Amino acid sequence: MSEEKAAELTALQAALAAEHAAVYGYGVVGGRIREGRRTEAKAAYDAHRARRDALVREVRDLGGKPVAASAAYALPFPVPDSATAVRLAAELEERVAGVYSDLVRASTGGLRGTATEALREAAVRAVRWRGGSVPFPGLAERAATPTASVTPTA
Amino acid sequence: MPFPSPPRTLLGPRRRSLLASAAGAALLVGCSTDGDDSESTGGSQSAAERARARAATDSEDLLRRYDATLAAHPTLTERLSPLRAEVVRHVTAFGGNGSTPSATPSATATASPSASAVPATANDALSDLAAAERSLADRRAKALLDLPGELARLLASVAAAGAAHAYLLTEGAK
Repeated sequence: MSEEKAAELTALQAALAAEHAAVYGYGVVGGRIREGRRTEAKAAYDAHRARRDALVREVRDLGGKPVAASAAYALPFPVPDSATAVRLAAELEERVAGVYSDLVRASTGGLRGTATEALREAAVRAVRWRGGSVPFPGLAERAATPTASVTPTA
Repeated sequence: MPFPSPPRTLLGPRRRSLLASAAGAALLVGCSTDGDDSESTGGSQSAAERARARAATDSEDLLRRYDATLAAHPTLTERLSPLRAEVVRHVTAFGGNGSTPSATPSATATASPSASAVPATANDALSDLAAAERSLADRRAKALLDLPGELARLLASVAAAGAAHAYLLTEGAK
């Protein structure tokens, strides 16, 4: 396997691991979030499952063995209620945006296009949960506090 | 509804941090404007430089749109200022001048929108701005496919930010 393909596979596996975590995390979100936003959480959960399944296929296509989901994940903070569930959802999207920006860099062609689209979707969902935007979604090295906001709908 | 309740065993030997490796992304800082472009993902150095300059110009044009909208609709200041500030950061990230005065002629053939081009109502003005953000994000998503990896990553992020801006611009107008 060429160096480029190896890097692409590494980034793919990282994206897959993040989607596994997002699917798990949205399970938590769905159990805590208030009724009014449950549909939105379910849509995000479904979107991440679809991305996860697509990444499994991509890894196999590259001759890799797809990383498996963990039995359980440590949450970054306690999620006892709807407000923290919304915060968790925003964090999950930021994490996913980060791995997709790396996949954009490591990949070419159709896979890069897919990663670009996934990054964009994660960024928009993050804004929906967070209520404000960040200048560089998925770029941890440029991360800063949110600079834009609308009235939170949470 | 078929929404699975999470397993109760959040603590356990197989526990893994959900947000563990975000720091891995920090190894490569930003994008370089010099010639250390040993990446293999297509495009000659000059093509990449042109793409970067184009990205800066595009963001400057967008910035002028924000300014024209703000001039025509001062009531939108609170709403638009944070988004405008992010567009300024995009301009500088692409190596442009974030404080470009609106008198500076645009480098592209597309004319800069003047204040007179801004719709008369605030809601229409927001829709126009959202459409501009969205179409630029779409264009960037295509352009980045042929660029070196690091520049593509930056452009993908800025395109994602643009899509998020479009969402924020349309959402609150309802």
